[in-house]
Amino acid sequence: MIFTIFCVRHYEYDVGIDIFLSTYRFLYDSAMDYQIISINQKGENFMLLPKFEFYEPTSIQQAIELKKKYQGKAKLLAGGTDLLVHLKKKLITTDHIISLSKIKDLSQIKEERDFIEIGACVTMSQLSKSKVIQEKFSALKEGGDNLGNHLIRNRATIGGNVCGASPAADTLPALLVYQTQVLLQGPDGRRKVAIESFFKGPGKTIIKDDEILTGFELPIPQKNCGAHYIQLGKRKSSEINVVNVASFIEINPGNKTIKNCRIALGAVAATPIRSFFAEDALKNKTADETAFYEAGEVARRKDCKPIDDFRGTAEYRRAMIGVLTKRTLETAYKQAMAQ
Amino acid sequence: MKRIINLTINKIIYEHAVEVNTTLADFLRYELGLTGTKKGCDTGDCGACTVILDGDTVNSCLVLAVQADGAVIETIEGLSNEDGLHPLQQAFVEKGAIQCGFCSPGVIMSSKNLLDKNDNPSNQEIREGLSGNLCRCTGYTKIFEAVSSQCSDNKGGSHGKI
Repeated sequence: MIFTIFCVRHYEYDVGIDIFLSTYRFLYDSAMDYQIISINQKGENFMLLPKFEFYEPTSIQQAIELKKKYQGKAKLLAGGTDLLVHLKKKLITTDHIISLSKIKDLSQIKEERDFIEIGACVTMSQLSKSKVIQEKFSALKEGGDNLGNHLIRNRATIGGNVCGASPAADTLPALLVYQTQVLLQGPDGRRKVAIESFFKGPGKTIIKDDEILTGFELPIPQKNCGAHYIQLGKRKSSEINVVNVASFIEINPGNKTIKNCRIALGAVAATPIRSFFAEDALKNKTADETAFYEAGEVARRKDCKPIDDFRGTAEYRRAMIGVLTKRTLETAYKQAMAQ
Repeated sequence: MKRIINLTINKIIYEHAVEVNTTLADFLRYELGLTGTKKGCDTGDCGACTVILDGDTVNSCLVLAVQADGAVIETIEGLSNEDGLHPLQQAFVEKGAIQCGFCSPGVIMSSKNLLDKNDNPSNQEIREGLSGNLCRCTGYTKIFEAVSSQCSDNKGGSHGKI
């Protein structure tokens, strides 16, 4: 009898049931047949999604009202490639899910005269297919193309990648070098935040409980500009970056000096960071291999603050920052000269 | 809380009441009995649950059934008809691209979508197109050959070499 209660409790809390099953299989089979049926009527005994209320607002305004109503308790669902996994693994819990997929405005890329606006629910596949992204924001396209695998890219959204705020996220270095403004909307109106000040730490952003990230504004680069992104992982697909770097460069076509340059480093600090020392080191220098090598050295020594983890050591990350900074700058330079 | 959803699966229109926390994979398998779509990891890593949703391949374990309301879905069950297996399925059989068979429905849906969009993908494109599907028997070479044999360039007989 005690055994029965123990088992029912386990089932109710949906925790450790698989370990439990394997350990007490013999008892379970003889005494608890009806329980097996109740667990298996859906075929599964773990990894089920918890129960939640589901909302599908059709406008940003409605979504904000819902978010305000439930304050921090509601979660926004865009692509679902992070949220549903975290819910299944019981890493987060929520009683209210607000799906953004019915809000058409959020999944569009709008091209204006001197900037583009990317909706928060634009998927990585959409980014990759967009002509303006291919032509003017190649580093962002490369970032998006390296995220997960093609199945994930068909669902994963740029807003989700940014709100996830992983220091190793694929689109973030590119967004940093393109001087992205994050568009937030709340009950009191809209605000724009530079992406540098958007992240507070791994998984932490400055979004308030009643705000929604609606999109990103990226100024269109002028002539003689180039950008490149390189990520380093253990595989080519479905992996989390050990290091990633994006560089943006603007050249004076006359004397080939560097007019403007931005470098962003990922997975070497609590958030993706700009490499300001390396940028300063490059300004007004003649663009050549030595200058790029030295910028890489500065980024390696002064800008990055990596840690050891199971993906790579701090030492390795530091070394790779030097190499990748140089390589991204070289490719960005070639692109700028080709224009 | 249940919701009524309408969706087209393999050209058949379904109207069904589903719990909001049911994933599309669970809906296909346990509500409709379409068990050809497999569940491996349930977290979007393995690709065994791949289906084609509105022309794009997705991990059906990471899509809620309610999100698929109004969608057109193709699953492995929709490929063969009264004339027999789909040419791609036939190629998998002929090339020995099936070992335990658990990943095959997902792999075939991914390769079908790849060939629908581009009937003559390069070797690199085939590899990228299949990169979301894991085969734990590690029979990737034969899978690659089967897909390659269905490229328009190779259909004449010179079957895909790596």
